[in-house]
Amino acid sequence: MFHLDHLPDQRPNEHVVLFLRRQWFAVLTIVVAFVVLTGVPIVVGGYFWDSIETWLAHPILGPLIIIVGTMYFLAIWLSVFLEFTDYYLDTWIVTTQRIINIEQEGLFHRTASELDLAAVQDTTAKIDGFLQTMFTFGDVFVQTAGRKEHFHFRDIVHPERVKQVINKLVEEDKQRLAAGGSMVMGKVKTGTK
Amino acid sequence: MPDLSQFSLPISIFLVVYIGFMVFYVLYSLFNIYHLIRYGVYGFGLYLLVTIFTMGTILLFFGSVSLLSGYNWQYPITLSGIMSSNQSIFPGL
Repeated sequence: MFHLDHLPDQRPNEHVVLFLRRQWFAVLTIVVAFVVLTGVPIVVGGYFWDSIETWLAHPILGPLIIIVGTMYFLAIWLSVFLEFTDYYLDTWIVTTQRIINIEQEGLFHRTASELDLAAVQDTTAKIDGFLQTMFTFGDVFVQTAGRKEHFHFRDIVHPERVKQVINKLVEEDKQRLAAGGSMVMGKVKTGTK
Repeated sequence: MPDLSQFSLPISIFLVVYIGFMVFYVLYSLFNIYHLIRYGVYGFGLYLLVTIFTMGTILLFFGSVSLLSGYNWQYPITLSGIMSSNQSIFPGL
């Protein structure tokens, strides 16, 4: 667990400006899937309750139905938890000096990358489609100079505003480095755990 | 030739599958909780998430245990018994 005021490899005078996760629509998708997968069997079970009551009273079929049912609902509960963990651990942190991208892909693959703001060449905000326009969310692409690597902030709220903040921070960071006489070409560091 | 209709197993055999699933469930859950605590950002949401998941699991598990406790786990499963009970449970058969 890490604290936003104590980032990994925190630099002097560095502080967090933006802490981003995917928009609440991602959570809504998980919730809707959960409601459908649990609600449909419950509603169907309620409709055919007379038959199910007879089956539950049976000495063999009764325990079998309860065990299979419990396993089904526990599997859904665990899947929802895994999906929510995936959402919760996918974060983008923009500080006064760098961008940190943490992505959880499934349970066994995790990528943590960071990019110096001074290396940012181009920032693009993209809002695509009816839902993204209505709820003001979309993607931001951060491209580095002379490199193919880029950071992709996926489904974040107010991408235009985020883009403006990043551009402003990039300018400030470049000025800070120029004033310090140590203009460096930033680089992307990627680590996978 | 052995008479298969007389072959029987207690229904407690179902519990083996149930326990196997629960072991997998607990291990996977613990691994996921470890991931959250190890890599998550400190905050109230993190504890809320783990607490809600744990409460839901406890509720489902103890609910099923209380329902299952009412059955006779020594009741034998026999082919002849299954065939005869099919007619009372599924009248169409």
